[in-house]
Amino acid sequence: MLLDAATLSRLSGLKLRARAVVEGVLSGLHKSPHQGQSVEFAEHKEYAPGDELRHLDWKAFGKFDKYYVKRFEHETNLRAVMVVDTSGSMGFGTTGLSKLDVGRVMAATLSHLLVRQQDAAGVALVAQGRFAEIPPRAAATHLSVVLDALESAKPAGLTDLSGAADTLAEKLPRRSLVCVFSDFFDEKQDALKKVLALRSRKHDVAVFHLVDPAELSFPYEDPTLFLSMEDERRLEVNPREIKESYLEEFRKFLEATKDACRAADCDYELVRTDEPLDQALLRFLARRGGRM
Amino acid sequence: MSFAQPLFLIGTLAALIPLLVHLFDRRRPREVPFAALDFVLRSQKRTASRLRLKRLLLYILRTLILLAVPLALARPSFGSGDTVDTRRGLAATTVVLDTSLALRWSDGTRLFDLAKDEAKSALRDLSPEEPATVLVCTRAAQIAAPLGFERTRLIAAIDDAQPGFGSVDLNQCLEQATRALDDSPLPNRRIVLVSALTQSALRLEAPPPVGTTAKGEKLKPEFVVRDVAKGKTLGNRALIDVHAEAAPQLGPRAWQFTFTVRNFAAEAVRDVELRLEVNGDVVQKGFVDVAADGTAQKTLAWRFDAKPLGATRQGGETGGAATVTGRLEADALADDDARSVVLSVPRALTALVVNGAPSSQKYRDEAFFTDAALSATGSPVRAVVRDADAAWREKLADYDVVVLLNVEAPPAEAARGLREFVEAGGGLFISVGDRVDPDAWNLAMADVLPRKLRVVKTAVEPNAPDAATRAARLTQVSLNHPVLAPFTGRAREGLLSTRFFRYALFEGDGTANAAQTEVLGTMDDGAPVFLASRRGKGRVFVFASTVDRDWCDLAIRTSFLPLMQRIAAWLTGTLDEREEVKAEVGGQVLLTPEPGQSPAWARAPSGAEVALTALPDQQPRQLGGQTQQFGGGPLPEPGAYVVVDAQGTVLPKLGFAAAIDPGASNLSRHSLDALTDWAGEDSVRVAGGGGPQSQTPMWTWLLTIAVLAFFFEGVLLRR
Repeated sequence: MLLDAATLSRLSGLKLRARAVVEGVLSGLHKSPHQGQSVEFAEHKEYAPGDELRHLDWKAFGKFDKYYVKRFEHETNLRAVMVVDTSGSMGFGTTGLSKLDVGRVMAATLSHLLVRQQDAAGVALVAQGRFAEIPPRAAATHLSVVLDALESAKPAGLTDLSGAADTLAEKLPRRSLVCVFSDFFDEKQDALKKVLALRSRKHDVAVFHLVDPAELSFPYEDPTLFLSMEDERRLEVNPREIKESYLEEFRKFLEATKDACRAADCDYELVRTDEPLDQALLRFLARRGGRM
Repeated sequence: MSFAQPLFLIGTLAALIPLLVHLFDRRRPREVPFAALDFVLRSQKRTASRLRLKRLLLYILRTLILLAVPLALARPSFGSGDTVDTRRGLAATTVVLDTSLALRWSDGTRLFDLAKDEAKSALRDLSPEEPATVLVCTRAAQIAAPLGFERTRLIAAIDDAQPGFGSVDLNQCLEQATRALDDSPLPNRRIVLVSALTQSALRLEAPPPVGTTAKGEKLKPEFVVRDVAKGKTLGNRALIDVHAEAAPQLGPRAWQFTFTVRNFAAEAVRDVELRLEVNGDVVQKGFVDVAADGTAQKTLAWRFDAKPLGATRQGGETGGAATVTGRLEADALADDDARSVVLSVPRALTALVVNGAPSSQKYRDEAFFTDAALSATGSPVRAVVRDADAAWREKLADYDVVVLLNVEAPPAEAARGLREFVEAGGGLFISVGDRVDPDAWNLAMADVLPRKLRVVKTAVEPNAPDAATRAARLTQVSLNHPVLAPFTGRAREGLLSTRFFRYALFEGDGTANAAQTEVLGTMDDGAPVFLASRRGKGRVFVFASTVDRDWCDLAIRTSFLPLMQRIAAWLTGTLDEREEVKAEVGGQVLLTPEPGQSPAWARAPSGAEVALTALPDQQPRQLGGQTQQFGGGPLPEPGAYVVVDAQGTVLPKLGFAAAIDPGASNLSRHSLDALTDWAGEDSVRVAGGGGPQSQTPMWTWLLTIAVLAFFFEGVLLRR
């Protein structure tokens, strides 16, 4: 089932929207890259100093007169944090859904999928001066908390992905999946760099770059007074005169963002707010394969 | 600067529209919240300077369009700005177009083409409410069409006009133009004179024309002068005359042509090439220097039997008409640099010399001196000498002239042959001597002889001691006859000093033949010596003495050789003084054909034909026959004309050449000050392309600017 922005916009409430998207997405299984507690024996490993003594297989010692340590393969919970940009620019939308709407539907859908397979999902709503976090948990009841938080988010203020990245780097205790939903219209030049720097802390970073079709095509003709959505700036221009230059600037911005993500070994997904969201998610999940 | 339609200048206020739009356009732009405002801002900063320049250029281009279009519609022009003088109100106008020879002057563009443009421009510049007409001023009397408001017919008349080859009478044309304006009820009258203003066309000593109003009051029209020469001096040189004459000293059928070259310019010219063309081929060249405002002559000669060019083409052995043209190196007015004459070139003559008293001693032979004279260098005659018996067996039709020298009276058969020969156009020369029996001759040849022979008179015996002083002498010779015409001055004295010891006497002039006989020379006793007459189509010449030294010493005189050659030529008709036909372009031609000829058309070099009609009042002019004269005209162009009869047969001997009046080649011009003095200071204005006060139309340039501005505005808007 492909759900485009127009269809989703007619569904009221984030839960309903998220569920609708979930229905369209095949849930993928994933294996934990961590080895730990499990009941399923995996293999023997010759003892080396540092291995826990409690895992020594005494029977094997009796047979082979050598120390072997038992190793077990076991499934574990994934910790995922949905970082959703709630700055004023995320409130822009010309298709019935704003970028924030699309971002939180996708965040909710992913949370839903994760919780269904007993992974932990949390959310962080960020803007300048605001950082609202719901820590990741795997409990089914936790999902409604996450969804409530997402639903309550309002677009306002300046973008501050840089500060959010710093906060997340401090708070995330171990390797986690960090999904960032933003338009990356951040005045600070190093904002994207700091977000991507989470990757160097062993976190798995996935960037969902949300853009409105009007931002891509700049479909304005007559003289227009453009109003900033994050501050009080106003700008009167003749769109016909600058359209060519604008499109060139925006294309460079998209390419620079994509190249930076690739360079930092982060997933990058350009999401147009007028395309079916389940399709965008499927594309993301298919690329990640078994890693989720 | 002046404007033909000044009302359109109000439209130039539209040029303020772009400025007003810029100042007062306060349309509220649509407010749109936009997330990527930073990119809009960056784009605006990046394109700001280019946009400012583009806006400025657009503003300039739009202003230009809105300024240039109404300006062009107002039809501005630089210059005196008074082509149409509306200060006095509307005026009835006559445009007078000069077609004199001067308008053929060209320094790349022919003045007449400029004149036609000026005339049409003058019509276009008139207000539609002004009645107008056009008078194309030619040599023929012209009457202007009635005044009207329809311009197409007038412009067609200008387009059809052609420049002439002579002067025109501009004074008369201006008079006609003034008459044409008398019908106008408008109080103002205007004459636009499109001319080169040459002194030969416009005489300022004549009073300027004055019109008459309906109430009978005198009214001087305003003169608007459009000088097509634009103030320039029209330098010119012309071939104003050519004189052709036979030049026997240069050989048989040799002619020399004396050309007169006139330089009308203020600077001398040197080494001007003069070419002699015979029937279109250049046969001689020469160079001539002419002083400023001076005249020079140059003589070139040509023998018509010159072998390199072929006899037939130049009218050589067979004779006939030849067109000889002198052509100067062309200048700005090439039409008067050539002048032609049509010549009747004598053909080669064959004479049968019948020797009545042959002798083994040359100097005693009757035909010795005659044969030597006719066979001399330059003689047009080829002589064949036979004794009498042999001569009568000859076929006379093979000869042009029969020369009977001291011959006994011919037998009846021979006499009849001689009579038929003369009637058919042959020439017969008779000289007397010891063998001539007057009675026998009178019996056999009475109807051929000019007068009957009577007796032989002896003035003195040749061997007498005082023979030289007692010999008879010529006292009168008829120098107006072609045979004796060259014997003037010392040549005449030489001829008159001939001593006659014995000579024949003739009957009186009461005989039937005497009426057609001319006596060209007489003795001191009144006895005729030279007698000439016509018989049928032929001619007879009688010499009353011998052509050897027996009866007179003419044979050893210097006059003998040319005299015998000219007698032979006259007998065949080739020496006839062909009266040179003086024909002028624009004038009439008068032709005198031979009996039996009936010219119908004269064909000009361009193929144009002029009808020739008989002039019944003319009297017989030529000896021995009635001659009807024919005339026709006006002759349309200079050059050689061919005359044909009603059947289309060419009559070569009637061909003639028409020449341009030398006065028309004088292109001296009136100054504008002189014109002003002539017509009155308030009456003359200068307009058109005439000199520094000319007007230059600007509207085409303005429209071009507007179109270009429109094009570049479109280009800018697309970017």
